[in-house]
Amino acid sequence: MSRKKVSVWSDNRFWQRSATWVTGFASILLIWLTFDTMGQITMGNQKDIDNHIAKKVPSATVINYKVEYNMNQFRGHEVPVIGGDDGKGNSLFKVKEKFFGRDDYSQKEADALLHLGKLASQAKNCMDCHTLLGNGAYYAPDLTKAWLDPAWGKDGPLQSMTGKNTKEEAMAEFLQNPGKYPTHARMMPNLGITPKEAKGLVAFLKHMATIDTNGFPRGFGKIKEGVVYAKSK
Amino acid sequence: MIEAFTDMNSSFFGFLNQGPLTLTIFLHTVIVLPMFWIYFQEKKRLEREN
Repeated sequence: MSRKKVSVWSDNRFWQRSATWVTGFASILLIWLTFDTMGQITMGNQKDIDNHIAKKVPSATVINYKVEYNMNQFRGHEVPVIGGDDGKGNSLFKVKEKFFGRDDYSQKEADALLHLGKLASQAKNCMDCHTLLGNGAYYAPDLTKAWLDPAWGKDGPLQSMTGKNTKEEAMAEFLQNPGKYPTHARMMPNLGITPKEAKGLVAFLKHMATIDTNGFPRGFGKIKEGVVYAKSK
Repeated sequence: MIEAFTDMNSSFFGFLNQGPLTLTIFLHTVIVLPMFWIYFQEKKRLEREN
């Protein structure tokens, strides 16, 4: 007996079942993805640093440590390295660095400082011009890895411009008096940032630089050579 | 197309997302394959009913 010709494509039930399957599966997938992401982006604490556990978003107490951006051979891109490099681009969590003269900020102090910096960055609308972790504007420089910018480091043009001896003091000085320091054709306006807010903002920036962004921006460490090249000219 | 797993946190989705489009291709495959099954089931049912 020959089978009757039937049209599945014009059958309502086929589309109903397909839609139910796609919607149901996608809902479960999104819930799963949400929990998966939450686990990965939860901020670490000092205990993680003590136990040498690298987190995507490390503890606020990283402001006590030296922060670099080095090539990790295994991962094939640059990663934030906290407290010294083991030679392969992994954090040692040992080498400290003074932040406004101290390297013993407690969890509570560091959290409070970062919180103040975050609130200040929102109150002053940094994102109106700058980009933070992919959010914001591209009118002014991207601040995601601003802490690692060699221009703010020792012998860097931005640090020497402010006449300060450390990166954090130079950044804080600039934030309080941006009008005094012509850095760019698009000059930063004076936003009335207080010394306390500036300290919080710099802590916020230092912490943000330690967030693992899977190698974004790529080749950032090479800017160092650019600075040296510009100085030699 | 599939590269070594180098994420700092191991995760199922991270594992699938190591190459260009690998996560997308996997998820679309997983979603579309059961639709073939639904299609043939419905075809059988229609043939039976008509």
